[in-house]
Amino acid sequence: MAEGAIVFVIFVSVAAAAVTLMLLLANAGARKPLPQSIVTARGYAVRRWWFATVLVVAVAAFAATIPRLPYPRADELRSSPHFTVVAQQYSFVLPATVPVNTAIVFDVTSRDVNHGFGIYDPAGHVVGQVQAMPDYVNHLPMRFERPGHYTVRCLEFCGVAHAAMQGAFEVR
Amino acid sequence: MSAQRIMWLYILTGLAILVLMMLLGITMRMEQAGWLSYDATAFYSLLTLHGVGMLTAVALAGLGTLWYLVSRETALDARIAYLAYAFFIAGVLCVIASVLGHFGALWTMLYPLPFVGASWPGWATGTYLIGNLLVMIGFTLWCVQILAALLQRYGIRGMLGVEYIFRGRTFEAAGRRPPPPQMFAALIVSIDGFLASIAGMAIVIALIVRWADASVELDPLWAKNLTYFFGHSFANLTMYMAVAGVYVGLPLCTKREYHTSRPLVIAWWGTLTFVIFAYFHHLYMDFVQPQGVQFVGEIASYLAAIPVVVVTVYGGVLLVHRSGMRWSMGAMFLYAGMIGWVVGGTGAVLDATIPFNFDLHNTLWVPAHFHTYLLEGVVAFTLGWAFVNLEQRSGAVSPSLIRWVTGTCIFGGGALFLLSFYLAGSSGVPRRVAIEPPPGPAIAAVASIGAIVVLIGLLICLAEGVRLARLPRKETA
Repeated sequence: MAEGAIVFVIFVSVAAAAVTLMLLLANAGARKPLPQSIVTARGYAVRRWWFATVLVVAVAAFAATIPRLPYPRADELRSSPHFTVVAQQYSFVLPATVPVNTAIVFDVTSRDVNHGFGIYDPAGHVVGQVQAMPDYVNHLPMRFERPGHYTVRCLEFCGVAHAAMQGAFEVR
Repeated sequence: MSAQRIMWLYILTGLAILVLMMLLGITMRMEQAGWLSYDATAFYSLLTLHGVGMLTAVALAGLGTLWYLVSRETALDARIAYLAYAFFIAGVLCVIASVLGHFGALWTMLYPLPFVGASWPGWATGTYLIGNLLVMIGFTLWCVQILAALLQRYGIRGMLGVEYIFRGRTFEAAGRRPPPPQMFAALIVSIDGFLASIAGMAIVIALIVRWADASVELDPLWAKNLTYFFGHSFANLTMYMAVAGVYVGLPLCTKREYHTSRPLVIAWWGTLTFVIFAYFHHLYMDFVQPQGVQFVGEIASYLAAIPVVVVTVYGGVLLVHRSGMRWSMGAMFLYAGMIGWVVGGTGAVLDATIPFNFDLHNTLWVPAHFHTYLLEGVVAFTLGWAFVNLEQRSGAVSPSLIRWVTGTCIFGGGALFLLSFYLAGSSGVPRRVAIEPPPGPAIAAVASIGAIVVLIGLLICLAEGVRLARLPRKETA
């Protein structure tokens, strides 16, 4: 399953649970009102556990992201082959091919305005991206495990022909 | 009465702009679906106007609500509210003029875009920048007035609730009470809003200088940081403006109290801090940013959610639970707004997770979450607050049929409209494109239907609001 689809499923599941729970809490026992003091006392007792749960989830989620950060490590920058990418209104200067199953680094910059270097795999899923900025070079480490034709789309608004700004490279 | 007049001026102006911007939004989704056809220049000009207009609309409604609520606690000079309003309107008119000149760098106008490869005349860029500056001046005026009034009323320690937290027994034994919850919303909006406006004015003035003198060069990363610091914070703060209506409106519906508690004060301290630093998540894909800053962005984005789900929304749910509340239009929108806030927040937190952002950044997932947040959160709160006021004033409530129809349209149509955004975003469809790659157009068609249903619901809702407003005022004993 593509990562985008996984995020969509997580979102729909959490959102559906939240909507259901909040509607249930609003309607449960609606015809048998209780004094606010009783509801508050019960709610405050639960809130401690709710707070602890939310905090633990937040900390765990943060910890889980650390090993999956897309940012380049110093050893990757030293040991991997580098490929230059230059963006400009409204095209990319790209390598024609990059090696499969090899750690590589794209050195991405722009000749004019901000662009986005968004990489789509042969199935059309986004597999990574970085901003292409004038005056800066962003180093994007990638490893392609699937050979084929990869499409590049600009993912930062860059002017009137932004939607048409595309490129491509082969992974072999 | 004067304060109420100002509140309604702000809210009604905001709602009027909102309806117009929704119309623009629908035409853009229909264009992406292939149902309408206009050129890319027009599309990006409309998108620019839609962005600025929508944020100004919801901000105006929220600022009017907060201004009125603060005026109930301490005297405020109405002339400053009118002056700030004039700046807002002048700013919007400038943006409209720039769009007529085909300006289309979008509301984020990332430097050096407004100047390099522009397909619009230079005067349109200048007019747009001046329009932005005027809106920011209006917002700063509002922030300074509210901040000064709160300082005068409570003092710095009092308005932050410092003594209430650290010297609670002495504080309460002296018969003192902390400010009501809505004052914390006003305080945080005015402090963070002031800081964001300073950043916003710094970048806009720098861009105006660049516009006047083409030899001036700016650092694109510096410009991007300032742009998003203002842009993200301003958009985010619209929710904290609108939530004040929940603190006051929901107790009126439930006949219960939403009082200031210690967790509430601490939660607002958290919000004060986290809102400022969350903007870094807009620059995750700028790998030249220091990595520590990226962590700060993720942590701040996660932590910003805690005060919402553990205190404000949780407290709102407790207020409603087993209260025997009658579901009026006001109650429905206020409660639904809390649900919209949680759902939009979930989409935002997922997007603020760096490995997910690697795939979702600048896809339609981004407008998915902020449209949820704004439409089903901020707009719902605004409508809820407006209806609670109208219901209290007239002593009447809307027929349940009207409530069901508007609720079904705004939330059912909204679900269709918003889920389409999420689905397209998770499929990699880019945002801010006049022509979408597949599966964008098919999804945009479904989204267009959802958006039209929302607009119908909103128009019915506004008509019902007018009906309630025309009823005679309830006689009080």
